[in-house]
Amino acid sequence: MSGTIATLVTVLQSDGIIPRGSRVEVFDAIYWVFLVLGALVGIVVIGYMLYNAYKYRDVGETDEDAAESKKVERPKLGELPRGGGGGRKLFLSFTLSAIIVISLIAWAYGILLYVEEGAAEEPPTEQAEALEVQVEGYQFGWRFTYPNGHTVDSAVGDSFKVPADRMVRLNVTSADVFHNFGIPGLRVKSDAIPGQYTQQWFIAEDPGTNYTARCYELCGAGHSDMTATVEVMSQEEWQNWYEGTGNETETGDDGNQSDGGDDDGHALEDVLEEPVDYGMEVHA
Amino acid sequence: MPDDNNGDDGSVPSGERDASPESRADGGEVTDGGHAVREELPAGDEHGHDFPSMGTVKRWLVTTNHKDVGILYTVTSLFFLVFGGLLALLFRLELTTASGSFLTGTAYNQAVTAHGLLMVFFFLSPFAFGFANYFVPLQLGAKDLAFPRLNALSYWLYLLAGGLFGLSFLQGSTFAGGWTMYAPLNLPMYLPEGVGSTTAVMAMIMFVISVTVSSVNFLTTMHRMRAEGMRIRDMPLFSMSILLTVWMMLFAFAALLAALIILASDHILGTTYFAATEGGSLLWAHLFWFFGHPEVYIVFFPALGMMAEVFQTFTGRRIVGRKWFIAAMTLVALQSFVVWMHHMFLTSINLEIKTLFMATTIGISLPFDLMVFALIYTMIKGRIRFTTPFLFAFGALLLFIVGGITGVFLGAVVLDYEFRGTYWVVAHFHYVMVGGAMAMFGALYYWYPKMTGKMYDEFLGKAHFALSFVGFNLLYFPQFVAWETPRRVYNYQPEFVTWHQLSTVGAFVFGLSFLLMFYNFYKSYHHGEDAGDAPWKYASSAEWAIPSPPSLENFPGVPSYKGGSLSFLSEEEVHGAAAADGGPAHGHATGDAHAGGHDDHASYWPLLSSVAVFVLFVGLAGTNGGGTVYTATAALGGLALLGTAAGWVVESFHVSEPELASRWPFDGVENTKLGVWIFLASDVVVFGAFVGSYIFIRVAEGWQNWHHLLPADHVVLPGLINTYLLLASSFSIVLAMVAAEKKSRAGVVAGLVTTLVLGIGFLINKGIEWSHFFHIHSEHFPEGWTFGTNVASSTFYLTTGMHGLHVTLGLLVLLWMIPRAWRGAYTSTEDGDKPLEYFGLYWHFVDIVWLFLFPLFYIL
Amino acid sequence: MASTKLYTIIFVVLAALTTVQAWVEISGFLDQSYWLAFGILGVVASVKALMVAGYFQHLRSEPRSITYVYAAGLMAALALTVAAAYSIT
Repeated sequence: MSGTIATLVTVLQSDGIIPRGSRVEVFDAIYWVFLVLGALVGIVVIGYMLYNAYKYRDVGETDEDAAESKKVERPKLGELPRGGGGGRKLFLSFTLSAIIVISLIAWAYGILLYVEEGAAEEPPTEQAEALEVQVEGYQFGWRFTYPNGHTVDSAVGDSFKVPADRMVRLNVTSADVFHNFGIPGLRVKSDAIPGQYTQQWFIAEDPGTNYTARCYELCGAGHSDMTATVEVMSQEEWQNWYEGTGNETETGDDGNQSDGGDDDGHALEDVLEEPVDYGMEVHA
Repeated sequence: MPDDNNGDDGSVPSGERDASPESRADGGEVTDGGHAVREELPAGDEHGHDFPSMGTVKRWLVTTNHKDVGILYTVTSLFFLVFGGLLALLFRLELTTASGSFLTGTAYNQAVTAHGLLMVFFFLSPFAFGFANYFVPLQLGAKDLAFPRLNALSYWLYLLAGGLFGLSFLQGSTFAGGWTMYAPLNLPMYLPEGVGSTTAVMAMIMFVISVTVSSVNFLTTMHRMRAEGMRIRDMPLFSMSILLTVWMMLFAFAALLAALIILASDHILGTTYFAATEGGSLLWAHLFWFFGHPEVYIVFFPALGMMAEVFQTFTGRRIVGRKWFIAAMTLVALQSFVVWMHHMFLTSINLEIKTLFMATTIGISLPFDLMVFALIYTMIKGRIRFTTPFLFAFGALLLFIVGGITGVFLGAVVLDYEFRGTYWVVAHFHYVMVGGAMAMFGALYYWYPKMTGKMYDEFLGKAHFALSFVGFNLLYFPQFVAWETPRRVYNYQPEFVTWHQLSTVGAFVFGLSFLLMFYNFYKSYHHGEDAGDAPWKYASSAEWAIPSPPSLENFPGVPSYKGGSLSFLSEEEVHGAAAADGGPAHGHATGDAHAGGHDDHASYWPLLSSVAVFVLFVGLAGTNGGGTVYTATAALGGLALLGTAAGWVVESFHVSEPELASRWPFDGVENTKLGVWIFLASDVVVFGAFVGSYIFIRVAEGWQNWHHLLPADHVVLPGLINTYLLLASSFSIVLAMVAAEKKSRAGVVAGLVTTLVLGIGFLINKGIEWSHFFHIHSEHFPEGWTFGTNVASSTFYLTTGMHGLHVTLGLLVLLWMIPRAWRGAYTSTEDGDKPLEYFGLYWHFVDIVWLFLFPLFYIL
Repeated sequence: MASTKLYTIIFVVLAALTTVQAWVEISGFLDQSYWLAFGILGVVASVKALMVAGYFQHLRSEPRSITYVYAAGLMAALALTVAAAYSIT
């Protein structure tokens, strides 16, 4: 089964059927295909259902019916249940639907592999080296740590600044409970789980645009307000900003991403000082 | 009154009275207590003819009759529908603005959490099981379920679990971590202060116990008490769907039980499973969804079965491709246990397993295509009458198609990446779940005439359908449009506010439409026309062949399908057939008026035991942080539970097994033994989940990297001694069995006493070991090695502790059995040793569990 | 079926196998070649469990369907354990 899928995927990819590009482009391509096909199938099936319901409605006994009903066997009280005929038609429609579903999913699987490649070590793009950012969720905000060790925190109003047209690879975790980091506008989402690291990526295309990152897993009283601003900058602008940030931490040597999240917790207390009333006492 | 016979005559050796003239296993009489042997029949009011009438309160407190219990389930589940529905209206009101207004923070989270838990657990399944209780025995041709008292117990545990859940609201705050209870938000340190959250967890445990008892009961009944000539595949589709549902329940809820016990232990004992960074959070997700995905079908299958029945009746056509329909359902039931990780696509699980679970997920969607087409094709050449039940079933199918198609979107992992945690998921599963509920409301109209004897008002019924169908779509369809809204938030993107307002309007239309239903049922019950036996043309299953409502013992004779369709045999015919079958000649020395005897239908003990469990759980929830009042309550509840359990087994409660029945594939195993085995199979999953949790966490930590978490004193010896002790105790119980077969009273007593002594030795040895670990002062563990020291200590204490609890329960039963053995209860009659055998099965199972715990926790 | 002798033999074998398991650890074999010892312990534990189930719980003389019910529970637990442990990255 998986072998067949893999072959199919290779074929599709070589023909350019598998969309590539940013997460937004990929999502749009697949979403619309599913939506149009889904709507089509839905309309056909429901339409057929309504048609039959109307056609075979009970209109009382006509002559035609009387003749017909001699041919048609009806269930009788107390009989052992049996099936009605029509098995061939059943299998035909079943096979059709199975083909549609399986091919759709196989195609979507090809896209999954493309997306997963992006999250893995080697970026598939020939653009500048990907920007690796550690994302840490906590109750209730997001901390973003750049390769130079610079950390911004959504709870104190910092925005998450990213360069346009460059792959941003996220390594997501949590300092306390299960969160989910998502930027709906950029079609990227990843679970933030304490003790675990999940990888996702995105490419933002429009400098000057702001997006909102949200939490997509219930994480406590402040879940609704757990947002962060994602600010897309032109590459030069971003570079200028980034170079000004490196000096503030002593440990900020480049490429030191693997130990992200080791500083769990100590910023948490500071954040909790924040005068947000969630109608509960947080006892972390 | 049950109390009347608690006294001395409870201790009379029951043997003389239970002299079944032969010993063929499947014809004898059994009571539904694990090891109760028939006692003196009381002269009191428990006989059928003295059964209190339906107008009395007492009837509803003592009844064990499946139809009564069915009505209780139905009414109670509708109460929880209203409870959960009001909570939904509350937060739908909140969502009319895009920012928090009146219901925010923890209050909002409590509302969505309680809504989810109440609807999924306390409404959907119990609603389905109201019908299952009422109609499965009727469709099968059984007089009642196999274990009527256990059936009543299931109901009372369910009701009081709901009560416990309600109580949690009054304890400051109920559980606020979502119905999926993701870890570690489900732990006290992240939950609102107070014992309310723990109480809610205990309520869930109580509910799961109820479900497990119910599963054992239904499985035994459905496999062993079908009318003669009705093979499994001949059952009506509703019964078929219930059979598959209870099989799934048996195993899925066992995993949930393990997860909840671990969670309760994290709350109460301070173990650190779900707080563990060694995969604790993922562990919960695995355990929960291993239960959670089968749960989707557990909830939906009964609705599907009802849809099939209603379609067949109101189209006047037999279901197209019936056997394929059944095959598809069976396939789904099996496969439902290997799709759970599709709820976890965005966690850190690896790509290989994602691919595998994507494939199984797609695989499981296909049988549903077949079932949908089968229902649609059933309409062809039909004579369709658009009555209220059909409208609901038809509407439900339509909604299910929408729910199914939007579900395929989620099966594509890349799309799931974006839909995760959004209203797409919310809208999708409400289309499926509430769509299923729509089918069940249809079934309520369908069977209302049978249950009450009165016909409902057709116009009001249709109006209810129209309003609810419009309301439903207005409620959930806009949620697809506004799908980018995150779940469980009250602050959302302002551009979606109109869609959410529409949705709220829909919620009110949908909710208010149920007033019509309640009014209709109320009015019709008092002023409706008499429905007659078979109000629906083309209805074929057995419940329509008997009066509405049916008599206490259901049938005018013994149902049989031997001739290809339903007939009722007289007693003489049954005796003839049974004798020809080589079956039991069923004469009893008990002086019963006729074969089968007077079956009992009333007992207080199910209610009283449930109350005891309730008190015990209220107390347990507060033992860590609630103060001594809670500890005292727990002690009181524990004692009450012991007392009621004793009352239960002492009570005389007569249930006869049918003489003539289809029992595939369990011919030759009596009901009680089968019940014990089925229960043990679910316990395998409970322990399996415990051991699986240990293995998962240990693999996440690094299998061989584990020993630094253990004290150096953690050596093989105590485990080795305990293995010898348990093996010896298994052997001694076998010897007791052998003695019983030789009718050696002294041998039985000696065997049981030896088992008791060895079991106590096991516990003492374990106590010494634990106490040593608690008080060690080593370099690594200066504070001792206790429940919460680390994840290794947590898994060690809880897993072996669960096993120790099983040992303790076994010893309590032994304490009960030894004096009885002394009085000859197991040796004076032919079948008297049965309870010994049942206890042995349990005890050996506990032994087997230890055989795996020993290497896992003491050697490796 | 009631054969005290058979049951006694089984009990002795079970106790002996238990001793073998303990010996695997005490002799230091476990430390030398962990995974081989792991395999041996697993097999011995399974054999013991099968003996208890087959003879003491007399599954051998029950209808096979009972064994299937028991095995179904075991399969479910195994599916959970194996797939969950395998999914760890």
